[in-house]
Amino acid sequence: MKGLMNYFPGNTILHRLDPRTKILFPLMICIVCFATDNVYVLLGILVLDLMIGLIGGIFRQALRLLKSLLKIAAFLFILQMLVVRDGEAVFHIFGLAITDEGLMTALTGALRLIDITLPLALMISLTQMSDLANALVSRWHIPYKYAFAVTSAIRFIPVFSSDMQTIMEAQTARGVEFDTKNFFRKVGLIVPLCVPLLISSVKKIETAAMAVELRGFNLRNKNSSYKQAQFRLPDLITLLIGVGLIVLGFVL
Amino acid sequence: MIRFENVSFGYKEEISIIRDVSFHVEKGSITAVIGANGAGKSTMARLMRGLARPDKGQILLDGVDLKTMKASALAAQIGYLFQNPDRQICKNTVKEELEFSLEHTVQDPERKEALIQEVLTALDLDPEAEPFLLSRGERQRVALASALVHKPELLILDEPTTGLDYKECTQIMEYVAGLNQEGMTVVMVCHDMEVVLDYSTRVIVMTDGHVIAEGQTKAIFQNQDTLRKAALLPPQIIGLSQMMGEGFEGISTVAEMADAIEKKAKGGAEK
Repeated sequence: MKGLMNYFPGNTILHRLDPRTKILFPLMICIVCFATDNVYVLLGILVLDLMIGLIGGIFRQALRLLKSLLKIAAFLFILQMLVVRDGEAVFHIFGLAITDEGLMTALTGALRLIDITLPLALMISLTQMSDLANALVSRWHIPYKYAFAVTSAIRFIPVFSSDMQTIMEAQTARGVEFDTKNFFRKVGLIVPLCVPLLISSVKKIETAAMAVELRGFNLRNKNSSYKQAQFRLPDLITLLIGVGLIVLGFVL
Repeated sequence: MIRFENVSFGYKEEISIIRDVSFHVEKGSITAVIGANGAGKSTMARLMRGLARPDKGQILLDGVDLKTMKASALAAQIGYLFQNPDRQICKNTVKEELEFSLEHTVQDPERKEALIQEVLTALDLDPEAEPFLLSRGERQRVALASALVHKPELLILDEPTTGLDYKECTQIMEYVAGLNQEGMTVVMVCHDMEVVLDYSTRVIVMTDGHVIAEGQTKAIFQNQDTLRKAALLPPQIIGLSQMMGEGFEGISTVAEMADAIEKKAKGGAEK
């Protein structure tokens, strides 16, 4: 099963964008989200995020990611709603006043979390890591070692996520209640799970490091690539949309 | 013991991995699931343990639908050994590892201690050893011990002999065979046809998500058509008996082969 952050092949306009644009545009959205407190702008960004999924042909993956993010966002929403005490009381839960400002802060916080995470994850799903590494090295002149480290880290996310799933299953098979519906209990159970994940991750990285060393990783002294990242009109339009959104974010 | 009834299963957005599979694992048997890579063997083992839920059909454990039970609640009834023991290990010593297994199922400290000591002795494990510093074979034994410490009625082994040398493999399989003698039902997914021939009583052959044959181990290995369909080679002794032709049919052990050769030689001398 293909998970989040895996590359989804295709030939859509988003697939053909310059990898640099695919990194810059989510960063621009991130700026917009922090610049504005306007719920409508944040909702608009959410629609835009889903449009990225639709145009990139990964709408189902976008919805799946949104569903996972909604759980974390709901947790954040409840937490902020209970903690923020400024503003007028709207209603009471167990004697605790929930204020209008608390609700608004909680809503914007939850929306921000979704708006920021979605575009970066989706754009990464539409980008081949080798293209991104090449663009970082050849256009932004980032040393190959660092570009390789960044792309490898991104590439390992789905691998670790799949490992985590298997480890959870292994612990469930031993009677650990990972299949509980109680969210807080589940979070508490994750601690013993971190040990096997850490061990398997370190082992995997050690092997990967040895494998690249054996292929002469440190002998590379010249930047070369058979593909060159090209900045074209769609890239310009995308970045202009990003700039427009930033302006909108600061104005509204 | 466990019954699959028209079970189909697929991971999201992909085609079915298990397609309309029906079979029955008899109580007290050692059943091997064999097939080429990607045939759906490990997925079937996960379904059997309740770690995945079928899209269609039902899986019955002693007549009860697995869907109605939580996977974690089945730990005392079904033991599961994963292909990679490192997935299961999470504590600093072997003993802590076993205690962790019982933490969720056994409350009485004395009973807990007795169960741990029993499995430590049986699998020849040092309780104070650090699991991650042990060899692959020893880690496999620790993982097996943590699956067996509950004394489950059904034990599922996913590739139990992968990465083990001959001695380690024999040690684990002999112990499992001993448990089977005491009444434990065993299902193992296995690529090693020699191990399947030596230890299993029944075989389920899978290819492309379907069960294409099931039956007694020897009978399945004698059926060249089935093995060809599943892209499998028979154990060497059976392959040899098939090559030898007349007078060597149905041979599945070295001793039987020696007898047959002796008989043939005597027959030749008399002529």
